[in-house]
Amino acid sequence: MTRARKGNTTKGDRPDRSASHSALSVWSLWLFLLILATLVMYSVREQVSQAHVVLLYLLLVLGGSISGGRALGFTFAAGCVFLIDYFFQRPFDAITVGKSLDMILLISFLATALVATQLLALAKAEAARARAHAMEVERLSIEAGHAEALREANRFKDILIASVSHDLRTPLTTIKALAQDIAVGGDGAIENGAVIAEQAERLSRMVSDVLDLSRLNSESLVMQPELNTAEDLVGATVQQFIGIPDAVRRIHTVIDYSRPALLGTFDFVQTLRILTNLVDNALRYGPAETPVTLTVSSDNGMLAFDVADEGPGVPVAEQDSIFEPFYRPPHMAHDTGSAGLGLSIARRLAEAQEGSVTYAQAAGAGSVFTLRLPAVEVAEDGVIG
Amino acid sequence: MTNTVLIIEDEAQIHRAVRASLRNVTTNILEATTGQAGLNTVTTQHPDLIILDLGLPDIPGIRVCQMIRTTSTAPILVLTARHDEAEKVALLNAGADDYVTKPFGTSELAARVAAQLRRARTSKPWPESILTIDGLVIDLTKRVVTRSGVPVRLTPTEWTLLRTLATDPGRVMTHQQIFEAVWQRQYGDFRQYLRVHITNLRRKIERDPAKPRIVITEPGVGYRFSVPS
Repeated sequence: MTRARKGNTTKGDRPDRSASHSALSVWSLWLFLLILATLVMYSVREQVSQAHVVLLYLLLVLGGSISGGRALGFTFAAGCVFLIDYFFQRPFDAITVGKSLDMILLISFLATALVATQLLALAKAEAARARAHAMEVERLSIEAGHAEALREANRFKDILIASVSHDLRTPLTTIKALAQDIAVGGDGAIENGAVIAEQAERLSRMVSDVLDLSRLNSESLVMQPELNTAEDLVGATVQQFIGIPDAVRRIHTVIDYSRPALLGTFDFVQTLRILTNLVDNALRYGPAETPVTLTVSSDNGMLAFDVADEGPGVPVAEQDSIFEPFYRPPHMAHDTGSAGLGLSIARRLAEAQEGSVTYAQAAGAGSVFTLRLPAVEVAEDGVIG
Repeated sequence: MTNTVLIIEDEAQIHRAVRASLRNVTTNILEATTGQAGLNTVTTQHPDLIILDLGLPDIPGIRVCQMIRTTSTAPILVLTARHDEAEKVALLNAGADDYVTKPFGTSELAARVAAQLRRARTSKPWPESILTIDGLVIDLTKRVVTRSGVPVRLTPTEWTLLRTLATDPGRVMTHQQIFEAVWQRQYGDFRQYLRVHITNLRRKIERDPAKPRIVITEPGVGYRFSVPS
């Protein structure tokens, strides 16, 4: 093992040195134990039988080869044969072998020690191979995961580019044509100017939607959940529609002012985008002049914002698809002023802060989209000062 | 009296758009294409309002803001390309008075500029002691708030909050600035309750608390007291 590691790390100066350093300390440790055992047994060699000596040496050989590898095991086996013969076989302190039985003992010790060392080394090599294999499998599976994520990101990018380039072209064509007409002094400059402004607004909305979605996809969007009131969010949402004809008048809010303000933990700016998207959808899909009702309530530890319109509703078959990016209902015209990203952005932003956006059919006609966010219960006197 | 507006902007097209937006506000427009030139113009010409683009080639916008503030109290309106609330907060804390995000509409920019000019005229050195806004009458000296002659009862915190915001109508105050003005002498974590107090205040002073017209939320930045019309 040590040798293999050395071989692998010859270029890295530091690991190489530390590997040989650790091998040296392992050898020193076992050499020290061998000398200690020999000294102890030497001091009582008149009383102990050769069997005890042999067993203790065998133990040292095995221990040494486990921690120091095959080289240490073999060296120790050979060394112990000499030690047994020299110190513990009569005649003491001579290399001569007295009885033939002693010879058999030495040979069997050597054989046992060598075989055991070899087996241990093989087992260790096998274990190392298994570990390396497991690491390789893990590495490959991580790489496969990356590749899958990359493929997914690429696929998303393709859809994004295809869809966006199509959606951007309509307003760009209008703007270009009308602006050129104005530039050469064509009639109706005031009307055309208004159309250009409207189309530019549409472009601007699409660009920010696409930016949001790609930021959500790359997970670089950081949520900053804070204590907020539901009413503040509703007020800021309504604020977004000031200047759009009829919009604020059509939004009806239902809030129970007899109860303390409802609180929740959410990122105000991102949640404002969610609720604005839902209300914007409701205003567009509900027939002109019909109200959009925004109801605030709390249940089961969640704040609920219901956005109800009186539009045609969503067919059952499409109720999941509407949350997919770039989804467009089959019957809907292309010229709706949106790239079909609003709902998918809303849902992702909600889920990023432990909330949800769901769809339900309204009791009469129309749709109800519900945004749920974690509520916060605070004692009244703890808040109002 | 015509107001002088300085535009510090390096892109000619945006210059043109800003100029077009201001056609009905003022015709007295000064131009600078770098931060340094802008700073020089501020000290020599004393403009009534400064429109500052953040992406200048020579000096970071926030630094320009701070440097203008050492010599001038004229309102600074910042043009920014990013929907980055942290950046807006930093700018407001550095002395800017308002910001408009690109792409902006001509009417939006004109309205903001007009509001800041009106604010600069009326809020110096101290606003009138009685403000009337959306039917609400706030008497800052007598500490009385009424709607249609009926007194509106506010808690001490709500009163301090209202007075802080009403002292500078039209100016965006960051959460931090409001917090420091209202709770400066108190201990404890009142900051997170700011939004709760605003909500309670709105329930008492707004006609429809869900469609506020007096205390306006600036998402992720702070609050703004509407300019009385």
